[in-house]
Amino acid sequence: MKLRDTMERNIRIFLIFIVCLLLKKLPLTNLKASLLIDYKALEGAILRNKSEDDVKKYLEETSNKWLPLHSNESSKAYLVQEERRKDHISHFILRLAYSRTEELRNWFLKYECALFKLRFLRENPTEKQAFLNDENMRWKSLNQAEKKLMKEELNACSIPITTDGEFCDLFEIDFEKVPDLVARRAVYLKEGKAYVPVTQQLSLVMYEFRQRLAKALELASKSFITLRNERIMPMLDEIIKQYDGRTQTSNYSVINNPIADNVHQLVDHFPLCMQHLYQNLCENHHLKHYARIQFNLFLKGIGLTVEESLAFWKKSFSKVDEDKFQRDYAYNIRHNYGVEGKRQDYKPLNCMSLITKHRPNSGEIHGCPFREFSQPNLKAKLVQMGVRNDEHIREILNLAEEEHYQVACTKYFEITKGLLDKNNDSIIIETIEHPNEYLNASVLLEKNRKKMSNKDK
Amino acid sequence: MANFLGESYMDIDDPEVHEDNDVDMIIESSSNKEDDKERNFWKGSTNAKPDKFEIEEGSLELLRVFYKRFFPYKTYCYWLNYSIDPMDKPFQNREFNFVKPGDDEVYMRYLSFDTIEEFKNEVLRVCPKKIDIGAVFTAKPKEKKSLKLSALKPVEKELIFDIDMNDYDEFRTCCSGATICEKCWQLIAVAIKILDSALREDFGFKYLLWVYSGRRGVHCWVCDERARKLSDDERKSIASYLGVIKGGAQQNKKVHLYKNSLHPSLTRAHKIIEEYFERVILEDQEVLKDEREWTKVLECIPDDGVRRRLDDDWRKNSSRHSTEKWDNLLAELESSTKMTKKADSLRVCKIEIMLQYLYPRLDEAVSTKMIHLLKSPFCVHPSTGRVCVPIIPEECENFNPMVVPTISSLYNEINDYDRSHVKNDGERSLHDYEKTSLSPYIKYFDKFVQSILKETLAKNKAAMQMSMEF
Repeated sequence: MKLRDTMERNIRIFLIFIVCLLLKKLPLTNLKASLLIDYKALEGAILRNKSEDDVKKYLEETSNKWLPLHSNESSKAYLVQEERRKDHISHFILRLAYSRTEELRNWFLKYECALFKLRFLRENPTEKQAFLNDENMRWKSLNQAEKKLMKEELNACSIPITTDGEFCDLFEIDFEKVPDLVARRAVYLKEGKAYVPVTQQLSLVMYEFRQRLAKALELASKSFITLRNERIMPMLDEIIKQYDGRTQTSNYSVINNPIADNVHQLVDHFPLCMQHLYQNLCENHHLKHYARIQFNLFLKGIGLTVEESLAFWKKSFSKVDEDKFQRDYAYNIRHNYGVEGKRQDYKPLNCMSLITKHRPNSGEIHGCPFREFSQPNLKAKLVQMGVRNDEHIREILNLAEEEHYQVACTKYFEITKGLLDKNNDSIIIETIEHPNEYLNASVLLEKNRKKMSNKDK
Repeated sequence: MANFLGESYMDIDDPEVHEDNDVDMIIESSSNKEDDKERNFWKGSTNAKPDKFEIEEGSLELLRVFYKRFFPYKTYCYWLNYSIDPMDKPFQNREFNFVKPGDDEVYMRYLSFDTIEEFKNEVLRVCPKKIDIGAVFTAKPKEKKSLKLSALKPVEKELIFDIDMNDYDEFRTCCSGATICEKCWQLIAVAIKILDSALREDFGFKYLLWVYSGRRGVHCWVCDERARKLSDDERKSIASYLGVIKGGAQQNKKVHLYKNSLHPSLTRAHKIIEEYFERVILEDQEVLKDEREWTKVLECIPDDGVRRRLDDDWRKNSSRHSTEKWDNLLAELESSTKMTKKADSLRVCKIEIMLQYLYPRLDEAVSTKMIHLLKSPFCVHPSTGRVCVPIIPEECENFNPMVVPTISSLYNEINDYDRSHVKNDGERSLHDYEKTSLSPYIKYFDKFVQSILKETLAKNKAAMQMSMEF
């Protein structure tokens, strides 16, 4: 696996390359589709929170089907050159297509990095080293004496020790180059330098790859302006249309023109996260900043207009007088609806966002309860919400502990809506990915059940 | 929880939600910590019903005097410019936010200034009850309306941290709400010591400005060039490195150390905590005195048996001194490690509890985005009237927020001086601040800024020499 650096740097060459491609009338559809399918597979696997091994397997299957790429070793068995050519071409086409806006660039960058990571991990050590040498990725390595000075600290950071009893190879790097290791406190830092064992070399390689590709994308976007070729533009537009990096946005509302008073009637359909916020709101007549955002966007997803939303909050914040409400709270509520400031139309937060972003600090109650509640608190909450069966409680608690928060929530849905049959096997419903999805499913379920029972009458 | 992409840092940007990028919302999240009822300085005592007009006039007048006679304009602008005159991009492209005086929270966003004079005149004209500092942008923020949306992007910003007593309220017993005393101040002091040493020893930062927030917290401005140039992602990774306390209201145990070996940064923090834990946590905050409080400590122990035994023992002997109860706890943990399978987690439990109580509680959101606005040093806290003065980290435990100068105390001091002092011949005329208790703070700030300027100058010289050599 090689990246042709010269090609990466010279945009003009690859633009010409593309034009030649077109002139030769190669079957582009296969090429672009293949890489997109790889990305789609990756994205799907990651969104469903598959483990690293699962993602690897999933991608291998898809890759081998659409865009096989074998290593140098197997060059006797496969037409490696041909495979690589396809891979390169598709990469550059997509690079051009996705260079236009920042959003597209970020999306392309993310998944290209993930793809690179998988491919790099697949290689054997000799190949890896050859690649690093080619790409000039060399870092300052410490000698034994220097390592001895930090012996205690290195041990504390679990730096692996080789069979000779010495520490393995250790690189001295600026901490900015290994943000993922720093974030997890998985590396020893001293005066701005990170001491990265060779076993974590992947982080360094990923960082370099990402930096270089990001730069190249910026360059590509600049040259995009001068690209006016009539044959290329429609093709690139079509590529983006196939997959523009946005996750499916479902039509959220299944309730017609809800008003502020309807909110209370819908509580039984709320997912646990929103029930928790609503309970707190009713008890305290107040919610803190991020809790307000989370709940307000949820209401927006239900279909409340900005006026109805303001009415709802005004009523709920009953201890706040009109002036203070207008001053401190109304602006941000309107902001969520895109009628103030930047006028951005915020979408209701999905489960991923709630689980990973803006984790609650002490005293805060927002986020995903399956993640943020301690096990005893979660158990108490489940009991409070009517889940009495010990087996059910245990199942949900286990799922939460194993960090399968959305699966736990889906299980909670199944249990509380009585979707389990006599053997306690659930009728398979898809894992819930969005609080409004939960609400919609619940509302529709009730509607269907009413219909069924009406039929019986 | 990190998914395949190593989500803790390279997280999935939900393309549908960009609230993180929203500058307007950011202000809300930082000022909303003051949700609780406060003694509003502008309204005077909560008991009296003063003539509103009179009091506001009076307070506005005090603020005006402060900005006219005490605010260190030159040093301040040199600081943000990272160089002496003339003012250049770091200052001219810097975003400021003024909050107009009065009851309503009226913000004047995207302000920027070309000279020190311009800045000073505007401050005197508006007399803001709060000043926030933002990032240095690619263009002058005041020209925002005539620029393309994408033309105004943040370029650099000091790395900032915000420690607020709010986050300690879940176990603070000596005071509640907006009040603060010498006892609970120690919680902040320990946090400062730990964070200061981590930033210097782990990350190699040298120019840290610690500033009292005016009521019950501190801000840290890391002014090194390397810090100013950090991207949002890099800031996030640093905030995550320093974030040990994790969990909201529904999470009782907030510190989980998964490995047996403690990261060197946490070992250092623990050593600092050990010096203060007994006095600050056990004695002053009395976290083992009442059942309600000790239950929170016990919930950090992952063993039912240990919890129950301690709980029973303490209920029968609730008047036992906190330090003795703590010894009980340590003894229980010690003996249990020999028996149960959970030996590892019990061994590390003592450290987890100590970290949970005294490790700095940071608001990650403040540090993560370059565009985040933060209250400026030397402005005035609108509720208390106190000046946001620098704190010397080495002496932070002796810092007493109760004696920090307020705009009215400074007003009285300067009037007393002017009235009583007769200038002798040959005597150097003092700056106004030198006549008051604000003096040491301004002098410290001067020294700090000087040291930064010296380094910038040295760097520029070196760079020039390099280019001349070729």
